[in-house]
Amino acid sequence: MSDIETLLILIPGLPLAACLITALFGASLLRERSHWPVVAAVVGSFICSLFLLSAVSQLGGEGGDGGVGIERVYTLWNWVDLKDAYQLGANGPQRAFDISVSLRADPLTAIMLSMVTFVSSLVVIYASGYMHGDRGYWRFFTYVALFIFSMTMLVSVSSFVLLFVFWEAVGLCSYLLVGFWYEKPAAAAAGKKAFLVNRVGDFGFLIGLFLIWTTYGTLNFHDVNAQGAPAAVGEEVAVEGVLGQARLAKQTAGYVGGAVGVAICLCLLAGACGKSAQFPLHVWLPDAMEGPTPVSALIHAATMVTAGVYMFTRVTPLVVAAPTARAVVAVVGCFTALLAGLIALTQNDLKRVMAYSTISQLGYMFLGVGVGTLAGITAGMFHLFTHAFFKALLFLGSGSVMHAMGGVIDMTRFSGLRRVMPWTCLTFASGCLALCGVFPFAGYWSKDAILAAAYEAHHGPLLFAGSGWEIGLYQVLYYAGIFTAFLTAVYTFRAFFMTFFGDTHVPREAGHHAHEAPPAMLVPLIVLAVCALGIGLVNSKDVMGGHGFYHFLEQTPSLAYAPIERVEHSAEAAAAHDKVAMTSLIAAFTGIGLAAFLYLGGRREVEAVGKAASSARIYGLGLYQLSYNRFFIDAIYNILVIWPLWLLALISYWFDRWVIDGLVNLVGKLPVAAGSLLRSLQNGMVQFYALAMMLGMLVLVGTLLMWPAQ
Amino acid sequence: MDEVQVLERYLLIGALLFGIGLVGFVSRRNMIVMFLAAEMMLQGISVSLVAWGRFHNDWGGQMLVIFILTVAACEAAIALALVLMLYHRSGKLDIAFWQTVREANQPRYVDQQLPDEPLKVEHWPTLPPAGVEPVRSDDEVIHRSHV
Amino acid sequence: MSTAAQTIAIASALLAGGLWLQLPRGNSRGRWWGIVLAALGVCLLGRLVVRLQPEHWVGEAVFFGVAATTIVSAIGAVTMRSPVYCALWFALTLVGTAALLLFQGAQFLGIATVVVYAGAILVTFLFVLMLAQPEGHTYYDRVSWEPLLSACTGAVLIGLLSASIFLPASGKPAQSGWKNDRWSATERKQEIVHPQHMAHVGRQLFSRYLVAVEVAGTLLLVGLVGAVAIVSHGAPARQTGEAVERDRLAAREAHHG
Repeated sequence: MSDIETLLILIPGLPLAACLITALFGASLLRERSHWPVVAAVVGSFICSLFLLSAVSQLGGEGGDGGVGIERVYTLWNWVDLKDAYQLGANGPQRAFDISVSLRADPLTAIMLSMVTFVSSLVVIYASGYMHGDRGYWRFFTYVALFIFSMTMLVSVSSFVLLFVFWEAVGLCSYLLVGFWYEKPAAAAAGKKAFLVNRVGDFGFLIGLFLIWTTYGTLNFHDVNAQGAPAAVGEEVAVEGVLGQARLAKQTAGYVGGAVGVAICLCLLAGACGKSAQFPLHVWLPDAMEGPTPVSALIHAATMVTAGVYMFTRVTPLVVAAPTARAVVAVVGCFTALLAGLIALTQNDLKRVMAYSTISQLGYMFLGVGVGTLAGITAGMFHLFTHAFFKALLFLGSGSVMHAMGGVIDMTRFSGLRRVMPWTCLTFASGCLALCGVFPFAGYWSKDAILAAAYEAHHGPLLFAGSGWEIGLYQVLYYAGIFTAFLTAVYTFRAFFMTFFGDTHVPREAGHHAHEAPPAMLVPLIVLAVCALGIGLVNSKDVMGGHGFYHFLEQTPSLAYAPIERVEHSAEAAAAHDKVAMTSLIAAFTGIGLAAFLYLGGRREVEAVGKAASSARIYGLGLYQLSYNRFFIDAIYNILVIWPLWLLALISYWFDRWVIDGLVNLVGKLPVAAGSLLRSLQNGMVQFYALAMMLGMLVLVGTLLMWPAQ
Repeated sequence: MDEVQVLERYLLIGALLFGIGLVGFVSRRNMIVMFLAAEMMLQGISVSLVAWGRFHNDWGGQMLVIFILTVAACEAAIALALVLMLYHRSGKLDIAFWQTVREANQPRYVDQQLPDEPLKVEHWPTLPPAGVEPVRSDDEVIHRSHV
Repeated sequence: MSTAAQTIAIASALLAGGLWLQLPRGNSRGRWWGIVLAALGVCLLGRLVVRLQPEHWVGEAVFFGVAATTIVSAIGAVTMRSPVYCALWFALTLVGTAALLLFQGAQFLGIATVVVYAGAILVTFLFVLMLAQPEGHTYYDRVSWEPLLSACTGAVLIGLLSASIFLPASGKPAQSGWKNDRWSATERKQEIVHPQHMAHVGRQLFSRYLVAVEVAGTLLLVGLVGAVAIVSHGAPARQTGEAVERDRLAAREAHHG
C-alpha cells in the first residue's frame, strides 16, 4: 500500500469514523463535546489532503509516467462483478458490468480534497461555537461528518456509479441538514424542496449514465487490465475507461460526438443544474438557507453545490466532443449568473442575498467550463476554488450577524453593526471585496480569468449572422458577465452597507447582548478573510513560478487531453487580459460606488430609484417587484408543476379511496355477507344443532332412497 | 312366517324407537330426559342390529350391540358427570340456559311466557320422626373415643 | 303412489301430529287427541307387518303386545312432563326392548339390557334427578324447544325408514337384493339361534372379537377416570364465570319481566 493510497483512504475514512462515533455515542456520552471527534477527524483529513497534494505534485514534478496527465488509481474492492453483462453494439464485444470501489489521485482530486477539507475544518470549528447549546448538537455533527465523508468520496472516486452514489449521499446530507430544525415548518419544507428539485436533476444524470454505459461499455473513469485492477500506463488494457489513459491517448477518436455525445452532456448538465442550482432548477438553494448557517456555508456555498462544476471539469473530453452542449452549458451558466444577480439586488434577507450570489457565482463557473478552452475550464475551477473561501467567509459572517441579532437576518431591521461587531465587519468586508473581484482579493484573479477566457473564445457560433450586427456567442456572454460583475458589486455592498453602516440599530430579539462572535467563530472568520485576501495569488503570474494553479491542474488527465483548445500565450493575449481586468475592475468599482451612493447616506435616493423602477412597468409588473419576487419563478413552478401534480394526486387519491379501496372492501365484505347469512344458525342452542344434524341425516337418507348407490 | 317378515317387524320397531327418541332429544329441555331419549335411540339401533344379525345368521349384530351397551355405559357415566357439573354451575337442568357460545349479534333464545302452574296442595306421605336425639352428658362427650 | 306409500305418508303425518300434541307445550290441551293420533299412526304402520296367522295367534298376540308396550312407553318417555315419569316410562321401554331381543334369540342381550340399562344406568339417572331436581317438574319441563318442528323431523325420519323397509325396490338394484333370505331354518338353528346360545356368544366374544373386548374394557376404564376427573376438577361449586352470570341475569329478567 503506497502512501497515496493510504492518504486516499484516510481522507474520507476519518470523517466516516467520526460520523460513526458521534452517531453511536453523541447522544449518550459526548453530548456537548460531540464536535471533538469531528473537528479532530476533519483537521486530520485536511492534513492528509495537504500530504496528498504534495505527493501528487511530486508525481508531476518527476515528469509523470509518460501518459496523458498524471493519475493514480487504487481499487479497494469489487462491489459488483458480472461477466458478459452487456454486448456493445450488434456484433461488439461482450462487456462485464463491474463496479469497483476505486479511488483516484490526480491534481483535480487533490485540489478539491484540500479545498473541501480546509473549508470543512474551519466550518466545523465555527459550528462548535455557533451551534452551542442546540438540542441536536451531536446530530448536527454526525450529519456534517457524514457530509464531509460523502463529499471527499465524491471527488475521489473513479467511477460514474460511485460518483452518482456519493452525489446522492451529499444530497441526502443536504436534505438532513437543511431540515435540521425540522420542527420549523419552513425548514422541513425547504429540505423537501431541495430533495425533490434535486430528484429532477438526478433523473437526467441517471439517463446520462445509462447513455454513457451503452455508448462506452463501462462506467469507470480509469482503464482496467485483464485482472480487473487499474491498468498502469503502457500496460495491456482490457476495458478502456471513459476517462482512461488509453482512450485519452486516442484523442478525438476515443469519444462519441454528434447527437449521442450532446445528449450525454445535456443529461449530465441536468444533473449538474440540480446539484449546483442552475436555472431552471435553482429554486431550492435560496430556500435551503433555512438550515443552520454553517451548513449554508459548507454545503450550499463552498462544497456540495460545486459538485456540478467538478463533474463537468472531470468529463471535459466528453464535452469537447459535443460543442453544442458546451455552448448550452455556457449559456445556462451566464443566464443563471445574470438572473441571480438581478434577484439578489432587492432581497432583504442577508442569507438569501448570499444564496443568490452563490447561484450567480456558480453560473460564472459554468460559464467558464462552458467556454471549453483550457483557460476557461481552469478558470472555472479556479473560481470554484477561490469562491469556496470567500463565500464560506461571507456566510459565516452572516451567521455571526444572525447569531448576534438573536436569529434575525432581515437587513431592514438592523444597521450600523460595525460598531457592535468590528471583527465580523472587517472580515465581511474582505469577503465582499473578494466577491466583487477587487484587486488583489481572490475574486479578482478567478473572475477575471473566466471573463478573459470568454473574451478570447472565438469558436462559438455567431449570432445575428448576416444582419450586420453579428457577434460571437461568447462575446455576448462576456458582456453579460461584465454586467453581472457590476450587479455583484451593487448587491454585495448594498448588503454590506445596510448591515454594517448607518445608525446603529439592533432588533428587539437580540436583547441587550448584541456582541462580537466568540473566538471559536471568530478564528475561522479571520483565517478565511486572510485566505480571501491572499488565495488568489496562488495563480498569479508572478508567484509560484507563474500560474502555479493552472500548471498543476492541467496535469489532470481530463485536462491534459490534447484536443482541448489552448490559447497561446502571447503579448496580444496579455494585453487583452489586462483590458478585461480593467473593464471588470471598473464595473466593480462602479457597482460599489452606486451602492455607496444609494445606501451610505440617507435613504432618499433608494426610494427614488425604487419608485423609478416600479414605474417602469413591464407587462404590468414593476421591475422592482419582478426582482423582489424572484421573477415569479416559484409561482410559475407552482402553476405549471405543483398544481397539476396536486390535481393528479387528488384524482388518484379519489380513485384509490373510492374505486380501489371499494373493490378491496367489496372482496372483504363478500365473505362477511355470506357469513351473516349463516350466522343466524349459530344461536348457541344445543337442540338446534342436534336438529340441524338430524335434518342433514334426513336429506342423506332421502337421497339414498331416491338414488341408491349403484 | 318367513324371516323377511320378522326382519321387517323388528326394523319397523327399531325405526319407531329411533324416531321417537329423536323427537325427545331435540325438543325436550331437561338434560336428563335428553339423555334418556338418546339412550332410546340406541335401543332402536340395537333392535335393528339384532334383527339383521338373525336374518343374516351372523353374530356380528349381537356383538355390535354388546359394544353399544359398553359405550352407552361409558357415555352415561361421562354425561352424568357433565350434567352434574352444569347443574352445579347453573342450578338447573335446563339445556337452554347454556347459550353463551353463540354469535355475538344473535339474540338470546327467550322462552314463551307461561301462566304459573296452579299451586296444588300436595300431600305427600311423611314419616313420623324416628326419634329424638339423646342428650349426651358432658362426661360422655369428653371421654368418648374419637373415631 | 302405492297403497303402502300412502299408508306410510298418512301414518307419518298422524305420528307427527300426535307427537306434537303430546309434547309439553306449556299447556296440556289436546294431549288426548295426540294420544289418539299417535296410536292411529302406529297402528297404520303396524298394518304393514300384520299377517293374520290364526295358527300362531298366541305367539303373534304376545309379540304385538310387547311391541305395542315398547312403542307406547317410548312415546310416554319422551312426552311426560315430569322427568321421573319419563325415566319410569323409559324403564318400561327397556323391558319391552329386552323382550323383543329375547324373541329374536338374543338371550344374553335381553338380560344384559335389563341389567345394565334398567338396573344401572337408569337408576343412576334417577339418582341424579333426585339430587338435582327434588321439587318435581319445573318450568323447563313444561315447555319444549320447537315441538312442531322436532315432531315433524322425527315423523319424517320414521316415514323415510319405513319406506325404505316396505316400499318395493323397483329399479333400484342396490336395494333389490336385500330381502333375499339365503339361510334355512336349520342353518339358523346351528348358528344364531343355537340352543347353547351363551356358549356361542362367549366363543365369539373371546375369539373373533377379543381385541374389541379389550378395547371396550379400556374404554370403560377411561370413562370411569374421565367421569371422576370431570366431577372433581370441573365443578368448583357454584363458581360462575362472568358470561354465565350475565346470561343468568338476562334469563331471570326475561323470565320475570
